[in-house]
Amino acid sequence: MSRYLILLLLNTPFILAGLLNALVNYKLKKVSSRKFVYQLSMWIIIFAGLALVKPIYQFLFSNHLTQTEPLSLFDVAEITGIVAVIFISSRSRSKIEVLERRIQDLHQELSIRLSEGGSDESGKK
Amino acid sequence: MAAKRNSARIAIVIPAYNEAESIAQVIREVQHVFGSSAYTYTIVVVDDGSKDATAQLALDAGVHVIRHIINIGSGGATATGLSYAQQHGYTMAATLDADGQHHAEDVLKGVRLMGKGKHDLLIGSRLVVNAGMSRTKRLGNKGLSFITYLLFGVNTTDSQSGLRIFSTRALDKLKWKTSGYEFCSEMLWRAKQQKLDIGEYPVQAIYTDYSKAKGQNNWNAFNIVKSLVRRRIVEIIGE
Repeated sequence: MSRYLILLLLNTPFILAGLLNALVNYKLKKVSSRKFVYQLSMWIIIFAGLALVKPIYQFLFSNHLTQTEPLSLFDVAEITGIVAVIFISSRSRSKIEVLERRIQDLHQELSIRLSEGGSDESGKK
Repeated sequence: MAAKRNSARIAIVIPAYNEAESIAQVIREVQHVFGSSAYTYTIVVVDDGSKDATAQLALDAGVHVIRHIINIGSGGATATGLSYAQQHGYTMAATLDADGQHHAEDVLKGVRLMGKGKHDLLIGSRLVVNAGMSRTKRLGNKGLSFITYLLFGVNTTDSQSGLRIFSTRALDKLKWKTSGYEFCSEMLWRAKQQKLDIGEYPVQAIYTDYSKAKGQNNWNAFNIVKSLVRRRIVEIIGE
């Protein structure tokens, strides 16, 4: 099997999952349309880059813009690792932002409610 | 005959973190100035997880105290105080620093200006009359105001001032995301996004050894800028 095909097969699940996450978050109104478009573009560009690795390499090589060897199995593993890290960090960032906001709101509301148990009328004129 | 009362209900929010040395004096001054005015007011001290007796001293002074369980930052404490004001139907809110660098008279002046109904957010600018402010502080504040203008297109002379007056509309609409000192600039940006009218008026800051020591370190400006740039980029990408 071609190494280019292996690269695409290994990375497609991450790309599909990334696209699906972006779509679900947008439909559930967890992210703005702008962020949805950004995420969509990011995953489409990554997919296009991986699908067109061979013609890109051939173009660069024939125009003397690169002297490197063609794709090795190590390259495949490395690129897959990078895509996986992008996928994981993208998901983590979304989750952290939501959690951060929730904790802040919770803390704010809790502090106000606790304060009302005490000196509600103090200081009023 | 009873003095004529103003129908405006004002929440005076004082975010405080480890301000035991100055908080009682700040509260006394506000009580003295607003006590002789026609306004109905409530002083709300938001203790941002202080390790000293700030909260107790504020309670002893007879004001409403909201205690943060953990330290969040100046932006978080201000948001809590304004959220309290909004939830309790105050028609106006004012914020001032707990280190005693603001005159209570300047707060009252701002409240009166806000009462004229021209603005939604008023900033007490320390840089119109900047006597007493060190050259480095002046440079730092002007620099941050310039960066606020570059990043968010909001032109003010003192984007970092803690003395601010909020209309009911501003209380309802203003929400920001940062919790540290950078909220000062972000708040202006959010106000612009919400099409709120932002105004300024000159105030005279009091610089004592204590307020100088408690004030923002100029090096902190780098953290503020970093955070604002990040916030701007995130906004471009989308939340």
